[in-house]
Amino acid sequence: MKKILIVDDNPDVRKIVSKLIQVSGFKALIAKNGIEGMGIVKEDRPDLIILDVVMPKESGVRMYHELKTDDNFKDIPVIMLSGIPKKSFLKSQKVLDEFRGQSVPEPYAYMEKPEEPEELVGLMKEILG
Amino acid sequence: MKDNVKILIVDDDVDTVELLTKRFRAEGYGTSEAYDGEQALQKVKEYKPDLIILDIMMPKIDGYEASKRLKGYDKTKHIPIIMLSAKAKIPDKVKGLDFGADDYITKPFDYRELSQRVKYWVAVKVEVEDRLNKIRQLEKELIQSERLAAIGQTVASLAHYVKNILFGLKGGLYLANAAIKENDTDSLKSSWEILENNMGRISDLVLDLVEYSKEREPEYEKCSPNEIANEVCELMKESAKEYDIDIVRDFTLSTDETYLDPKGIHRCLLNLISNAIDACAFDVNEKEKWFIKVRTDFEDNDTVIFEVSDNGLGMGEEVKNRLFTSFFSTKEGKGTGLGLLNTKKIVKEHGGTINIKSQPGKGSTFTIRLPKKDFNG
Repeated sequence: MKKILIVDDNPDVRKIVSKLIQVSGFKALIAKNGIEGMGIVKEDRPDLIILDVVMPKESGVRMYHELKTDDNFKDIPVIMLSGIPKKSFLKSQKVLDEFRGQSVPEPYAYMEKPEEPEELVGLMKEILG
Repeated sequence: MKDNVKILIVDDDVDTVELLTKRFRAEGYGTSEAYDGEQALQKVKEYKPDLIILDIMMPKIDGYEASKRLKGYDKTKHIPIIMLSAKAKIPDKVKGLDFGADDYITKPFDYRELSQRVKYWVAVKVEVEDRLNKIRQLEKELIQSERLAAIGQTVASLAHYVKNILFGLKGGLYLANAAIKENDTDSLKSSWEILENNMGRISDLVLDLVEYSKEREPEYEKCSPNEIANEVCELMKESAKEYDIDIVRDFTLSTDETYLDPKGIHRCLLNLISNAIDACAFDVNEKEKWFIKVRTDFEDNDTVIFEVSDNGLGMGEEVKNRLFTSFFSTKEGKGTGLGLLNTKKIVKEHGGTINIKSQPGKGSTFTIRLPKKDFNG
């Protein structure tokens, strides 16, 4: 069974999205910040990652950049799911690009909350189906 | 035009005052007079002249000093001053101009010359006032547009916050529907919890908005500051534990009771402690342990202190300066930006103050000081 990792600090979002993952026929892996998220990625490589942007400890901004600059993980597709606009997120990636001297591609998809649950389900199936 | 122009004549020599009064009036100016510097300053306040003829050697306050003072006040600095003096040496004139006089005429003088200078300086003043008015108008427009921008920001920030709640509601509803279809009671229960949570967040938001929008008097009750602080600490203990944060209670041993609005203060402390939790939770610096210290104390026997400090993220100057402005939030849609605004409002309604000390990477301390009330209520 394919595995999808949801990384979000809001327990409600974790509950909702993991349930959506299950009903779509996939296995849900759950993390509440970037540090936990990277731990799971290294231990139990997921096939898709759904990632929040603003989180305590390690944010989605940093985790995304880390993933996309690591040869082992940069092929894992990522759906960003966040309350902040896509433009702000991309700007933050540019800053990290310059800081680390490595540039990263845009995420596979960027969803701004509130998202229709059906759309997220459709996207998961499109990527992994 | 001359009808509205008012000239204040200041000279300790009665003859000069009389002569000038007659001449100016004949030309259609309004006049008033003063016979020493002190009187002149008083007259400027009452009469609001458009121009001042100022002698230098006078009793009490001399012309130099009077000129210096008038040019030092915002309200009077734009009134032209023509010094009229028997001191005719160049250094005297320079000194007069140094002390703020706009023009200098030596006695004995020719009235025709004085009259021309007066005309000139009145025209300058009209021009300056005109420009000042235009600048004031522009300032007003700027403030207005800044206010509108602030409202725009408010709306955007609220929309952001509501979007997050909406995601919870939509998701919760989706899960509930799925659970009903599958006849899964456990799943239905957890869906309801999500729905309830997010409904709660909307109620809290509305309460915050209402709180912010209305002017009100604190509902004073006899209560113990320690008890309020303790209550809030208990309430927040669990969420602090989730991020390994210790809440340390540093309550002064005192059974003293005071008059406060317990609900309002409860709200303030809740806001401050939940901010402190976020400051620790979002702290990326390596620290052995995060803690939040809640302190209560009496100061000078007439002030009640509530203090919440943390060793979390801390703030830079820019964030600190914007803390109490409209709906400012660093939490990107995860905060309403209302918490501190309301905290400050409640503290202010108590006649108190709130102070912040903060260092990036080291932590923040918020101190509330409230006047201790001892009325019999």
